[in-house]
Amino acid sequence: MRLSLPLTLGFLLLAVVAPAAAQESNALSPRVLDEAALPGVMAKAVDYFIVPGYRDLSRATADLVEASAALCETPSAPALAETRSAFSDVVRKWSMIEIVRLGPALEQNRFERFLFYPDRKGTGLKQVQAILAKRDESATQAQNLKMKSVAVQGLGALEYVLYGTGAETLNDEDGRFRCRYGMAISQNLTAIAGELLAAWEKPEGIQSDWKAPGPDNPLFRDNKEAATELLGVLVHSVEMVKDQRLRPFYDGVMDGKQEKGRPKLAIYWRSGNTMESIAANLRGLQTLFNIAGMENLLPSDSRSIAGSVNFLFKALISATDRVEGPIDAALADNRRRSRLDFIALNTADLLDRLNRDFGGAIGLGAGFSFADGD
Amino acid sequence: MDANRLIDRRSFVKMAGAAWMATLAPRGAFALERTDAVFASAFMAPDGSYGVATLTEEGKIVERTMLPARAHGMAFSPVTRRAVAFARRPGAYAMILATDGTAEPVVITTAEGRHFFGHGCFSADGRLLYATENDFSANRGMIGVYDGTHSFTRIGEFPTYGIGPHDMTLGADGRTLAIANGGIETHPDFGRTKLNLDHMEPSLALVDTATGALIEKHGLPPELKQLSTRHVDIGADGRIWFACQYEGARDDLPPLVGHFAKGETLTFVPLPERTTAALANYVGAIAINRREGLVGLTSPKGNVAVTLDAKTGAVVKEERVADAAGVAAAKPGFAVSSYGGLFMKRRSPVAWDQHIVRLGND
Repeated sequence: MRLSLPLTLGFLLLAVVAPAAAQESNALSPRVLDEAALPGVMAKAVDYFIVPGYRDLSRATADLVEASAALCETPSAPALAETRSAFSDVVRKWSMIEIVRLGPALEQNRFERFLFYPDRKGTGLKQVQAILAKRDESATQAQNLKMKSVAVQGLGALEYVLYGTGAETLNDEDGRFRCRYGMAISQNLTAIAGELLAAWEKPEGIQSDWKAPGPDNPLFRDNKEAATELLGVLVHSVEMVKDQRLRPFYDGVMDGKQEKGRPKLAIYWRSGNTMESIAANLRGLQTLFNIAGMENLLPSDSRSIAGSVNFLFKALISATDRVEGPIDAALADNRRRSRLDFIALNTADLLDRLNRDFGGAIGLGAGFSFADGD
Repeated sequence: MDANRLIDRRSFVKMAGAAWMATLAPRGAFALERTDAVFASAFMAPDGSYGVATLTEEGKIVERTMLPARAHGMAFSPVTRRAVAFARRPGAYAMILATDGTAEPVVITTAEGRHFFGHGCFSADGRLLYATENDFSANRGMIGVYDGTHSFTRIGEFPTYGIGPHDMTLGADGRTLAIANGGIETHPDFGRTKLNLDHMEPSLALVDTATGALIEKHGLPPELKQLSTRHVDIGADGRIWFACQYEGARDDLPPLVGHFAKGETLTFVPLPERTTAALANYVGAIAINRREGLVGLTSPKGNVAVTLDAKTGAVVKEERVADAAGVAAAKPGFAVSSYGGLFMKRRSPVAWDQHIVRLGND
């Protein structure tokens, strides 16, 4: 039980070596939003991160449809491997961009339809199993499927089709129905990805609202509201990684007691994409932070906050990449579990840096998420 | 899901344990007497820790108590002198304080499958405590009923007849609860994400506390479906005043404040366009000064505090307050606080949270 403690402490020490920025909160420069820099940052977030992110997702889902079609036409082990690889690519691309959980992603339940997680009581799983058992033909047409439960039409359902009990039948004729259902899910995913891309690409649509805050803007009356939304993407997503993606399967070391973990609650455990997905979430966040030039919102005497943030992103991504293999095996291994402890600890630190240090320094007040009223 | 994932249960238990109790300041260490305390509000300290403070009529802090996590709204019973700080949604604890110092603080946690929304109130006799809660797997608003005197054990619950209930107040008859069902679906698995902004169901409900039955429910017209009814207070004449937060287009100018009484339809107050714009489609808190017939509103997004005449709805005062947070009846007018630490005219080194409760009968 206590074996992993020294390692955990080692990581703890590592965590505090991150360049400290907190002292700068007493610096002299005023903590007001850089009104001149903000619109450019918003524009870059849209043009260099959000639109390309949805474009990548759209392409990956189209490839998935193609691979699924080939599998259904000529079932074989290589065709199944091809489809599974296309699925994992969609998971990676989605995990990069799912952090933008706002606007078009929230309309028409697109987010939940693309990814229904967590499926806490296994209701979604039961619905998917029922479709497979009854060979419900209505689920094999994408236009019907989208009217069904959000749990049977997204990545979770497709993962079960490709990796769950009975998936081996996809290799041969027995799996015909299963394959067509998987195909309909792929088509549904590509339709949703296409809608998201179209909504963000439309010149007079949400992108123009993001790029030009002002009194007549339906989203942001001023630059501060826009900055709050953008930083909100980072803060809420780090919270998501910490509380909704890591904690369901691992609580860490508490009071000297090691959690055994709950591997079957982990996202994408069947396909072994759990940590890949979390790494992609973090890569997406770091990319957004840097490509949008969010550092430019910091007063010149506080630029080192961006350094701390990047340091933490780098350490987290590297630790996540090193929790290799299926999540149940990782949880059973002291070395990889101690990396999970490190990730849990440092996501909490990253959250604090973004929320309090960065948010405060760019003029969004004492801990920007404090200010969302309620 | 077990409620303990909603907050970090183990750190919570650790805080709520003996070591944490010892961090409370000893009695007698206060420069001010407890009897000077007329307000209470939750706050965040500069080190990021959370607490609740009582304050004098002038806004000077009398006493602070640490909290295990961030709180939101508060309730007070003038009969038992107990005050309650509710965890902010989707939090799972509430702390009950004896404002007269006759008992140690009591911490309660929500039942399995429920979390607090951050508001509550006592029954007229102080013997029961009601809290707005989320039955999140059913996406159904509930009122948790707790013993309000000693144990604060949960003794029952009844529905709010809506989704996403937020604030509530006890009606003038002492038996009816007026509940603001904000209409927004949330689930602790998704943190504070608002899941149904394109199909919200805001409403105001009157519920009989004796039977848990619905007395009447007022939905909002289709064009105001994105107007979340969130906070309520009661006027001297028993009218229920409500304040809203709009989730629709930022350049719309929806009505933000209204009132109603049992058996009546909702009446929205036609605020001047300038005031509506100043409130930034977002009223964070509402309070009524029943003695003076005034309605106080604050908007942290609009950085403004507005006072209305409760009879006519006319704007009496509009004051710029950066990051305006809470509002409560004062003598005269209103006490307004801010995230920046301002409370009335006094600044303390804390960030005041969204609500203030007045520790008195009026």
